Amino acid sequence: MLKISPDETRLITRYIHEISGIFLDESKKYLLETRLNAIAEAEGCRSYQDFYTKAKADASRTIERKIIDAISTNETLFFRDTNPFQLLQHKILPELIDARTPKVPSMKTPLKVWSAASSTGQELYSVAIVLKELLGDLSRYNVKLLGTDISDTAIAQASSGKYNKFEIERGLARDKLQKYFSLTGQSWKINDQIRSMVNFRKLNLMLPFTGLGKFDIVLCRNVAIYFSQEDRKKLFNKIADILEPDGYLLIGSTESLTGICPRFIPKRHLRSIFYQLK
Amino acid sequence: MKTMRILVTDDDPIIRKLFAKRLRQEGYQVTLAPDGSEAARLLDAMPFDILITDLVMPGGIDGIALLKRAKEISLDIEVIVITAHSSIDTAVDAMKKGAVDYLEKPIHFDELFLRLDKIREIKSLQKSADDLREAIQVTENSAAQTIQELEMINSNLLIKIDEMEEILTDFSQNAEARIERALKILEPR
Ligand SMILES: C[S@@+](CC[C@H](N)C(=O)[O-])C[C@H]1O[C@@H](n2cnc3c(N)ncnc32)[C@H](O)[C@@H]1O
Repeated sequence: MLKISPDETRLITRYIHEISGIFLDESKKYLLETRLNAIAEAEGCRSYQDFYTKAKADASRTIERKIIDAISTNETLFFRDTNPFQLLQHKILPELIDARTPKVPSMKTPLKVWSAASSTGQELYSVAIVLKELLGDLSRYNVKLLGTDISDTAIAQASSGKYNKFEIERGLARDKLQKYFSLTGQSWKINDQIRSMVNFRKLNLMLPFTGLGKFDIVLCRNVAIYFSQEDRKKLFNKIADILEPDGYLLIGSTESLTGICPRFIPKRHLRSIFYQLK
Repeated sequence: MKTMRILVTDDDPIIRKLFAKRLRQEGYQVTLAPDGSEAARLLDAMPFDILITDLVMPGGIDGIALLKRAKEISLDIEVIVITAHSSIDTAVDAMKKGAVDYLEKPIHFDELFLRLDKIREIKSLQKSADDLREAIQVTENSAAQTIQELEMINSNLLIKIDEMEEILTDFSQNAEARIERALKILEPR
């Protein structure tokens, strides 16, 4: 196994921050070694300095992608924390739909939701399932559910809508499993109707949000925890910019916006907190 | 981990007996069923870790139907199907439908024991992972509650500070009136 020197640790952590915003301090030396070793060795590198140089020079950005996949934590589950999804079902979605339903009956009700670090898709599919259960026939709605993540592998799995036994059992009630998934081989696949409600694509939250438009609901959960305080401020400021004035922001259950973005105020409903613009 | 509970379904009484003998010798808890409907009844009635079933059985419920039934009852039940050498295709089909493995007739028990060990190992790893997750979940829930409470308190305080600032800098009123109004904000509502 390749050993990483203190200088190389600084070099690599700075590089990781540059490409992903993920902030690792020097105590994460062990994490770097265990997660990057295989990639570095596969590239035939004899030191991490060597690895860094090679990654920087790689025009195809393949190594960069592999590093991001190795370093990012994709941990997620269906209906994570439960409460936010009840909040969506009983408060946020009904209120938004009320507010967005056009006066002209022939026009569809628009609704845009963004899962800003969607990982392997469970979060966005959970929203889609809540919407489907709430609205039933979706033909009178123009629902756009977008999931983005920096990891190509995560996006690929999210798009496939396939989950193994361990993933599917986490957070998903039996009735929903039976209703919205079918077993193919050793994996469970989300049904076409739910799949067709969502879109996934790659996006680095550190970059400007161009061409996304405005959203009624943004879920930015359990991703900012990996960023520095400075980067968190920038991120939530950008989110404030793309949120509709009466839109809703949901963050992770152990996260806080105190001292991060004064443009948002927390509100409490049904045992969970959501944020709205001041 | 406690011994695994295995349900063996085969219409051949000799094979059933053989399974019972060999598996019990290895310390497994074995229940036998002569056909699909009896097996389905047993699956409904009590918990099993593993179902070993012949694919071809007389009566309404064959191996594949039983596999589906077992998975409906619990995703935790691992299913091993038994097949004649000539019907490997059906075995592959069973794997596609969620079986973990298949055994060819005649049964090589040593091979079966190895596979059962593997399944046991995976199940116990999964149990540890589930336990860890559960522990994390409990910690996370209580942390979340604390953070959310602090977030609300903090936000209310910030609102009060804003209001105070507004009142204190409202020079249309004299100092005394401003202070009195500002102090009101500090009273619990
Ligand atoms: C722990 S998962 C959170 C998934 C989901 N939101 C949830 O709460 O269950 C964190 C995700 O953030 C992604 N991520 C990390 N840095 C990112 C960045 N700069 N831009 C976009 N996504 C990023 C990771 O790839 C990972 O999939």
